[in-house]
Formats: sequence, C-alpha cells, structure tokens
Amino acid sequence: MAKFVGAFAASHAPLIARDWPLLTEARRNEMTAAYRELGRRMDAVAPDVIIELSPDHWVNFFLDNLPSICIGVGDAHEGPPEPFMQKFPYRPIKGHAALGQHIAATALARDFEPSISHRLTLDHGFCIPLWKMELASLPPLVPIIVNDLEPPMLSVRRCFAWGRLLAAAIASSPDPNLRVAILATGGLSHSIGEPNMGAIDEGFDHACIRAFTDGAEAPLVDFLEARMAGAGNGTHEVRNWVIAHAAAGNRGFDLIDYRAVPEVYVGCGFASWRV
Amino acid sequence: MTDYWLSKLFFDLQAPGAGAEYRADRGKVLARYPLADEVKKALLADDVTFLASRVNPYLLRYYFGAAGMSDEVFRRKLRESKSEVQHG
Repeated sequence: MAKFVGAFAASHAPLIARDWPLLTEARRNEMTAAYRELGRRMDAVAPDVIIELSPDHWVNFFLDNLPSICIGVGDAHEGPPEPFMQKFPYRPIKGHAALGQHIAATALARDFEPSISHRLTLDHGFCIPLWKMELASLPPLVPIIVNDLEPPMLSVRRCFAWGRLLAAAIASSPDPNLRVAILATGGLSHSIGEPNMGAIDEGFDHACIRAFTDGAEAPLVDFLEARMAGAGNGTHEVRNWVIAHAAAGNRGFDLIDYRAVPEVYVGCGFASWRV
Repeated sequence: MTDYWLSKLFFDLQAPGAGAEYRADRGKVLARYPLADEVKKALLADDVTFLASRVNPYLLRYYFGAAGMSDEVFRRKLRESKSEVQHG
C-alpha cells in the first residue's frame, strides 16, 4: 500500500510563460510567491511520484482520436512543444511506468475504460506549474489527460468517481514505501476563443473555492454542474480539481492564493487539500 | 456544427514552420484541405464570426495567432461577432 501524501492544485496559462516579461513586477512577485508556496508544500511531503491531471491543449489528441481520460504509463514523456516553453528545464520528463500501469489496471478492473499512452507530450498545462513551483527536484510523473476542451466531457459526478478510483489505486499499489502526490492543474474561470475571451468570473471563482473548502460532494457537484459551463470554456478544467478533491477524500482544502489575473486571462487559484 | 477539415487545418498549423508557410501563401496551404468554398472565403477574409461557429474555440485562437493576428485584434473581432449574432 503506497502512501498518499498530498494533493495540490494550480492554475496554468500560456501567457504566464509567453508574456512573463510584460507583467508588472508586482504581478510577477505575486504569482511567483503562490507557485513557490505550492512547491514548498509539495517538497515538504517528499513525493516519489506525482500523478498530474491536466487537459491536452490539442497537442496529443485531435478530433479523430479524443479520449475522455488518458493515463501516461510510460517511463518518459516529452516536454512542452510550445515555443514559449523552450526554457522548461526538464526534458524528457521521467514517467513512473509501474504506478501508471497499476492505475490503468485498477481502473479496468473496476469498470472504468481509460485510454493509455506510453509516451505523451506534456504541454504548458502540465508544465507551467511544474516549472514555476521550483521543486527541489522533479519526481517521476504519472500524467493523466482529462478532456476539458471538447464536448462531450466527463460529468462532475464521474470526476468524483475517478478521484475515488485514484485513491483506491494508490492504496492498492504493491510498493508499500511509495509516496504519491496528486497535482491538478487548470481553472479557475477563464474564456478562450469565445466572444468574452479574457473575462474572469470572480463570483464563480469565489463560490467554487468555498465549495471546495467546505468539501461536501453533493453541493460541489450541484454547483459545478449548474455554473461551470457558464463561467467560460476554460473553466471546464475545474474537473481536474474535482478528481484531486475526491482522491483526497472530500475533506476540503486550504487556499494558498486566488487572484483574477486579466493579463493572462485566468482566475488563478492555488490550493492544497487536507489528506 | 464541427467542420472536421477546418479544425484539421487549425490543428496542423501548430507544427513548427507551418504558421510561417501559411502566412506566406494561404492559398497554397488551403489547397491541401477539402474545404467548402464558403469556408475558404471566410479564411481569406479573416471572418471570425463565420469560423467561430465551426471549430473549437481553442483551435480558433491558435489559428488566428498562426495567421498573424494579435490577441488585441482577435478579441475585438470576437466581441464584434457576439454583437453580430445578437443583432442578427
């Protein structure tokens, strides 16, 4: 039985990398502090492996092959291909094949049907938090791509089921000494390529944070099913947070920071769950 | 309505060098895709309103970036597209 040592969440946005020099010093300092605090908390729990949940921004998958969930089961993955991510320091990215395979096998044994990949390309969604958290060292990853971009998508209730499944897979991992953390990336509210592109729904974000903090499943499901789609297409990435939340046992989380950052078009949230 | 080949064009333009080739000669690149004439016309005219109804919004953003449009102009055209839809 592996040890589930921590669950964390962080927003991402291409402009955090591409336009970093254009942000004010105050803004850069705020965001750096939030990512560093997240990194400090991740380092403190000393994970041997991080299960990272992120969307695929049309890098690995397209309309001819679009899984709802894809588990990275390989021992290495490619770094981000975007030009603005050229300075990302970890290439290739080490994978944790044993845990990835175990999660996939556990899923299939429990009537879930994930896709698998032995070598994913991890775009800015995965990599901006890993980069900006400034970890002492990057442990191997099990990347899990969640389709948050193109309908149809997982229901919020199914995300809860996936979170519980991840917890069960960690608990049944054959390596008793393995320390496992989860990092969910994406959200909170944002709109990309829509008429209101750049809009941030702070009311949604604060209500969402309250629901995660309280922890209870039914109100969070009801809130997200009712409000998530209306808060911008990028807001669908909150599904990744839900999976981490359920994996951590719905005990609520501690908010590290929240800021609406119009310069990067995203309501940026950072949090660690109570596990 | 999702236009598969329009989406495929937008997806493919993410490849290294593809955007530069497209900016240099749109017609040459468009000839590789079985696009409807009205779609080609919209592409050549940067018709955001028409194209937005046929592709994923993320792909739409990638496309106009690859085509050389600034975020500022793209966002203005998106806002105008909303207005056009509302006023019919």
